[in-house]
Parts: sequence; C-alpha cells; structure tokens
Amino acid sequence: MILLLAALAIPALTGTALILTGRDSVRASEANANLVSLVASVATAALVVATVITRPKVDYQWLPSLGVRWQFSVDGISAPLLILTAALGIAVVVHARSYPPHGGSPTTFYGCLQLVELGALATFLSRDAVVFFLSFEIVLIPMWVLISRFGDSHDLPARADASGRFVLYTVLGSTLMLVGILALVHSAGTANLDALAAARGAGLDRSAQMVIAALLLVGLGIKIPMWPFHTWLPPAHTIAPTAGSVLLAAILLKMGTYGIVRLVIAPLPIGFGALAPVFAAAGVVGILWGGLACLVENDLKRLIAYSSVAHMGFVVLGLSSGTTVGLQAALFANIAHGVVSALLFFLVGGLKERWGSADLATARAALREVSPRLGLALVVGFAASLGLPGLVGFWGEFLAMYSAWSPAADRPEGFMRVLAVLAVTGTAVAAGYSLRVLRLIWSGDRTSPAHVDAHGGEWSVLAVLVATVLVLGVAPGIVLNTTSKDVSVITSEVSR
Amino acid sequence: MSQAVVAVNAGVLLPVLAPAIGAAVVLVVDVAAQRLRRTHYMIALVSLVVGAVGTFAGLGMVAGGVRQTLCLPGGGQCMYAADAVASGLQLAALLAAGVTLLLSWPDDKKQSSGNTAVIVSLVLAATAGATAVAGARDLGSWLVALELATLPTVALVALRGARSAISGAIALLTTALVSFGLLALAAALWFTATGSGFLTPAAALAVIDDPTRRPILVLAVALVVAGIGFKLSLVPFHAWTPEAYDGAPLPIAAFLAGVSKIAALAALLIVIRAIAPLGAPALTTIAIVAAASMTLGNIMALRQDSVVRLLAWSTVAQAGWVVMPLAAVSSAAVFASGAYLLAYVLATLLAFAVVAALVQTRGAARARDLSGYQGLVHDHPVLAAALGLALLSLAGLPPGVLGLVAKVTALRPVVASELWLLAVIAAVNAVLGVAVYLRWLRVVMATADASPDATAEAGTDGSVAVRVRVVHAHPATLVAVGLAAVALVVTSMNPQLILGLLGS
Repeated sequence: MILLLAALAIPALTGTALILTGRDSVRASEANANLVSLVASVATAALVVATVITRPKVDYQWLPSLGVRWQFSVDGISAPLLILTAALGIAVVVHARSYPPHGGSPTTFYGCLQLVELGALATFLSRDAVVFFLSFEIVLIPMWVLISRFGDSHDLPARADASGRFVLYTVLGSTLMLVGILALVHSAGTANLDALAAARGAGLDRSAQMVIAALLLVGLGIKIPMWPFHTWLPPAHTIAPTAGSVLLAAILLKMGTYGIVRLVIAPLPIGFGALAPVFAAAGVVGILWGGLACLVENDLKRLIAYSSVAHMGFVVLGLSSGTTVGLQAALFANIAHGVVSALLFFLVGGLKERWGSADLATARAALREVSPRLGLALVVGFAASLGLPGLVGFWGEFLAMYSAWSPAADRPEGFMRVLAVLAVTGTAVAAGYSLRVLRLIWSGDRTSPAHVDAHGGEWSVLAVLVATVLVLGVAPGIVLNTTSKDVSVITSEVSR
Repeated sequence: MSQAVVAVNAGVLLPVLAPAIGAAVVLVVDVAAQRLRRTHYMIALVSLVVGAVGTFAGLGMVAGGVRQTLCLPGGGQCMYAADAVASGLQLAALLAAGVTLLLSWPDDKKQSSGNTAVIVSLVLAATAGATAVAGARDLGSWLVALELATLPTVALVALRGARSAISGAIALLTTALVSFGLLALAAALWFTATGSGFLTPAAALAVIDDPTRRPILVLAVALVVAGIGFKLSLVPFHAWTPEAYDGAPLPIAAFLAGVSKIAALAALLIVIRAIAPLGAPALTTIAIVAAASMTLGNIMALRQDSVVRLLAWSTVAQAGWVVMPLAAVSSAAVFASGAYLLAYVLATLLAFAVVAALVQTRGAARARDLSGYQGLVHDHPVLAAALGLALLSLAGLPPGVLGLVAKVTALRPVVASELWLLAVIAAVNAVLGVAVYLRWLRVVMATADASPDATAEAGTDGSVAVRVRVVHAHPATLVAVGLAAVALVVTSMNPQLILGLLGS
C-alpha cells in the first residue's frame, strides 16, 4: 500500500518541487534537473513494478460530501499500461540528456514531465470514477506548458494554436465524460469502478444506457482521438517537443481507450452494444483517413501523428467487437502503439534536431548511409507500424480484424465484416506510407549533409525500444496472459 | 405587553451583530478622534474576526440542523435561522470582507482622502447585510438585509470620484433600484399567495393544492430570480457589471465580486429552500438564465483586454455556474450552488489581490491591461504563481483542484435531474472558460522582450527617476495575497474543507 502511494507521491512531489524551483541561471541547473528527474523516474518505475507484482489496494475517504474516495489498485488491464508509463517516464528523461529542452526553464520542463507521469499513473490506478476524472485532468496543464513553452518555436502563432487546441478539445472531451460519469454514478449509487462493472448497468434502461454511453464515447473518443475528433492531434504532435510527443502518443491517448474499457464496456453493456457499430465505423474511417493522409503528408512528425489516428482506429475496432479476442487485441494494440509511437517520435525528434525541420520533401543524406543506428531503428519502427508479423504491431491489429470478422452475437455480423475488410485495406495503405517514408529518408546513396549517428542516451533509449518491439512481437503472451483473466471477466458479463 | 415580543439570542446573531457594531464603533471613533486611519481598519478586522468566530458553531451541521433566534412567542416561527449552508456563506462573506479591507489598507506615503471611516463603515455595513440576509427567514428582514448589502456598495464605488467611478455607481444604483422593485413585488406576491410573512417550506406547502394561488407563487419565484439576477450579474441583468467593476477602486471591485455575490446567492437560496418541498420538476427559468450567463459571460470575457473587465465578465459566466444546480430544485442543489460560490469567491479574491499588488508595484495602467502581464512569471514569480493558481481554479483544471471539484459538485444535481441539454451546454462552457483563463495565463507565462520593470516604467512615465525606484507592494496587500493563496492551496489539496462547511 505504501508502495502504491509512494509511486504517486514521488512524481507529484518531484514535479511540484522542480516547477517551484527558481529559474536561477546556474549553468548546472539543467544537468541537476535532469538528474533529479532521472532518479525520481527510476524510483517511481521500481515502485510501479513492485505495485504491479504485489497488487495492493488503497482506500481512503476523501470527499465524504460527494462520496468520493481515494481508491487505487492494479489489475491485469491496467498493469501493462502502468509498466509502459513508468518505463517511458524514464526514457523521456534519458533522451532529454541528448536534447536539452529550450524555450524555458529546464526545471519547468522536467517538472511538467513528472506531473504528466503522475496524471497517467493515477488514471490507470484509480478505482473511483470521479478520481479517475480528476487524474485525467492532471496531465492537461503540464502538457499545455510543454507544447506552448517548449514546442517548436519556428511559428509562434501555430504553436499557440496547437497548444490551445490540445487543451480545449481535451477539456470538452473530459467534461462530457464527467457528465457521463456523474450519470453513471448517480444511477448505480457507487463511484467504485469494480462495483460499476459488476452492476452491468442494472437499473438503467436501454435508452438511458445509450445516452450515457454516447456521452462517454464522445468524451473519451476525443482523447483517443477517434475520427472525426482527431483534428487536434496532428498540430499538437508537430509542435510538441520530443518528450511531449512521446508522452502524448504513447500514454495520453491510451487513457482514452482505457477509459472506454472501464467506464463504457464494463458498466454499460447494453448501451455500448447498441452504439458499437457506429463506434467501430468511426474507428475504421480513422484507419483509412489516417492512412491516406500519411500517403501525402510531407511533415514527418505530422505523418506519424496521422498514423497514430489509424492505429488507434484498430484499437477502437477491437473494442467494438464485444468479444474476448477483440478486447485482448485492443489492449495489446494499445501497448504496441505505445512502444512503436514512442520509438518513432524519439527517432523523428532526433532527426528534426539534426535536419532543422521534419520536411520530407527536402533531400537529405540517406540514413542507411550516414547513421546506421538511426536507420535500423527507423526500419524496425515503420515495419512494426505496417504490421509486419513477428513485430509488436502485428498481433493487435491482426486480432482486431479477426474479432471484427467474428464479433459477439449481438453485433450486426455483416456490417462488422465489411468493416473488417475495410480495415484490411487500411493495413495495405499502412504498408504504402511506411515504405514511402523508408524510401525517402532511409534508402538511397546520398551522404551529405552528414549528421552524427545516435549515441549515448538517445541510442540506449532507441535500442531498448527496438528490443521491446522484437520481444513483444515474438512473445505477445507476456502482455496477453496478463490481461486475459480480467478481460474474460468483462466479456463474460457483457455477453450475458 | 409585559412579555417580550421575540426572544433574542445574541450569540446566534453574532455574525450579523459583530460587523454592524463594528461599523457603528468606527463612526463613533471617527467623531471622537479624527485623522485616525489604521485604527478604523483594526476595529473593522476585529469585528469581522469576531463575526467569523460566531459562525463556527453553525458550520458543518448535519442536514436539518439549524441555529435560530428572534422566534415569535409560544414556539412560533423564527425570523432568523442559519443552517450549515447559511453559516458557511456568512463565514465566507466575513472573510472576503476582511480580504477587501486588507487590499484597501491605507498607505502611509499617500495623503489621506479623508473618508477612511466612511469607507470602512460602509464595508462593514454591507457585510452585516450579507450575513443578515443569509439567516433571514421573514420577508421584511430578507428585503431590508439584501438592500443593506447592496446600497453601501453604490457609495463605495462612487467615492473614488473619478468620472468612470460615477458612471459605474450610477449603473449600480439603477440596477439596485430596479432589483429592489422586483423583489418588493415578489415579496408582496409571496404574501398574497401564502398568506405568510415567512420564507419557509411550511408557508409554500400551504399553496400546493390550491390552483388559484399556485400561479401567484410561481410568479413570485420568477420575480425573485429576476431581482436576484441583477445582483448576481446573471444574463440578461448583467449589464452593470463591467461598468461598475471597471469604475470602482480595485478593492471595491473585489468586494462586489465577493461579498455582494455571497449576499445575493444567500438570498436566493432561502427562497429555493422554501419551495424545494413543492416538488417542482425543474426551474426552466434558472436553467435558461444559467446557460445564457455562462455562454455570454465567457464569450465576452474572451474579448476583453482589460483584466478588470475580464474578471467582470468572468463573474457573469461563473454566476451562471453558481445558479445552474438550482435548476434542479433540491437540497443537493442548494449545497452544490453554495459550494461552487465559495470556490469561485476564493479564486476570484486571489486574482483581485494579485492585480491589486501589481497596481501598487507597476502602476494602474500596466496592471489593468492584459498585455502588461507579459513576462510576469519572470518579474514576479511568486505573484505569477498565485495568479496562475487562481486562474486555473476558475478554469477548473488541476492544480486548481478546488475549482474542478466545484464543477463536479455543480454538475451533479443537473445530471441527477437528467437535464442533459443543460449539462452539455455546461460542458461546452467549461471549454470556453478554459480558453478565457488560459488566454491570460499564456500572457503571464510568455517571455518578456527583455524588459524588466524599471525600464518599462521609465518608458511610460518618461522620467529617468523611476528607473532607480523599486516599488514594493503594500504589506497588507501581500498578506491578502498570501492568505488567499494559502487558503486556495490547502482547499485544493482537501476540498472537503470547503464542502464540509456547508454540511455533510
């Protein structure tokens, strides 16, 4: 229990302390801030691992007037996401050793990273619906600061626009989600997520379930982001500093899909079942829309952002199928996208620093020739992104399409099969844009303008992520076995 | 007539009596010894603290708990009754008045304008009105106390004497008169409908089965909403707000945004509580007014370049959030409305206190202009942090957890009554609100163009002497900033401290 609370307290205290530390112009403060956050992230990660193993439960009274309690615990569904968050929490700090933040005080930068990590961990740990919402909101302001202060400063109005869009879209989503949560809590008489899941929407008729589920799906769909609510994502990713892009793509987007499992699929089976075809269709449109945008997009960061929309579309498709396989696929694809998008954003962030821009139309030295380590990471990243078997991207997307082909009994089978076929088309598009990027920047024989290859902190982060892509690709059971027990509890209740 | 007409318990009345007596003492002392200034403020603060202590017994009482006095003989009804919500609002009014006084604390270096005693006694009188209206249960005290809370503010706005102050005061005075007219009419209709001079559920319940009298009661309630709407700055009765805030001295604007709003809501809650048992499904009027206030307030706030006007329009928007839960008539709604108001008042007072501190250090022109906040985080990191916390609380985003919890509290009764449209409008307005406050915060955090305070002031004043003078904010102002900031930090870590005041 102490472990779990400490895992939240360390990033909270470190983050607050770093932000409140003055901006004295001591030259060492950048290095010191990095060191402090590195120590904090490693300690947090160790505590998170210990928490995942020991599975403690925390339950304290917090707001008796509203019936809100500090309830935290871990289960199979949240465990992989917690590990991912903690690991990337370390990775962004290590990577920032190679690329110090510019645009503001380094203590603010590292403090914001810690607070984003805090919000994500609290979201995945909380078992009280209202605390879940509060945790969801914690990440907003730190992320806004990261984008608006430390983002790409070439185009200041664009930066202001991107950071503003990020916050405003997300606030709209989370407030709609709050309305849904309050309705759910009011009807069930409890805010405990496990109790809500066990109640399975008892006491709510079909139309009430549909209204609440629609509010929650739109609210969380903005966060995922699900087509047509995705328009905030590409600018945010384009402008954000590398660490911000990584945390945004790899962790914050997962809070949306995780929320759907916890707040919609488990507690509102009938309402979600009724809306699932629409939800799945939006996911598949996202797959195609994102993929087609990637075929013509010339800004590499923006391209990866659009590919995120496509990948999250597969997650949405898997969630909609209503089967154990589909849910497993969605949760696996969540983790897979977390790893792959982190790898790609680390990589592209570094390339953008070297190139001065992320424009694909400019002729560059081929990565294969001048920087083989970056080249290797790029090939592995895009190969995983296009869903090559044997890499991490394959399992989630393959199983998601399979689950859409054979959905749960109450889903319209014909319609879901059409969606499955369209999703397959989407993977072909993904192959197209992945190979296009590799052709443009990896292959060829240009060797100028030369740039240094990855080394030090940058290389170690990339290498670990490449290894993870391979390991989880070969042995997906590591994640699937962790989630399976809790997933089958949800789906068995759904199908009843 | 040997028997006393009513029984008076001075201890229960302390939150009202203390500021009222304080106002009288200030005037007497001023007659006895003129030219005193700080003494008046000291007397005032002591009376406010005594009043605040007087509310403690009523805080956090369980539902149904009430402290009453001025009861009619023979176990009859009481003209003064303070439950947990009323006590919480009284405490907030007394503390907010204290912050206002700290902000207007006299400066040794400046020449006195000669009306310190008047200002202090007016503030105390209006505060006494605010605490009295929270406990008033009969039509007469309710009306008189509400006007006692309003009329002194007209004088407070006008006393500055500037042209803008006069026009602000006239706007306020006109509004106050119209509002009084509506409320007097509402009181008359209430009496006609119920035959009772008391604003109690028992009086309202007498009407429930009478189809001829029920419409009169409905009309009375509608007129109450309109009359209070003026005082709370609800759309369409909001027009005076930016004029009055902008024309008034800054501490008085803070008073209008704090104590006056508490008085107005306390008055409204008494009527809502009285009609709650009638089982009205929902007050559509309040829902419409709330939605319109939030939307117009936020949109107009987005367009302001003066921070005081921005705060004025933000008041309009926040007033919409304050009354929104009341659309669902229930005791949970009364609790939610009170809780939201307390969170709003605390955050707004902190914002005003920071602006006041900046007026003292950087000059009024720069501190009232949004673009003057450029790079504040570099020049005054502590003030910038306090301002940031206040703005984020108003926006309802962590680290301003209190504001976020207040939004959760306010939405609960709305969702419970299945007012989906209102809930969605509120969600959209949460976004607009965030845009309003982040617009300010973005300026605060922006990098200044290498222009520290001194050179910028030299530029505007055109004098080189300013370059070397370092101006500090008055210690009392900094105390106000510190108190409000600490209160906001503590209540953000544990919002139950605020929620618990209003009953459990």
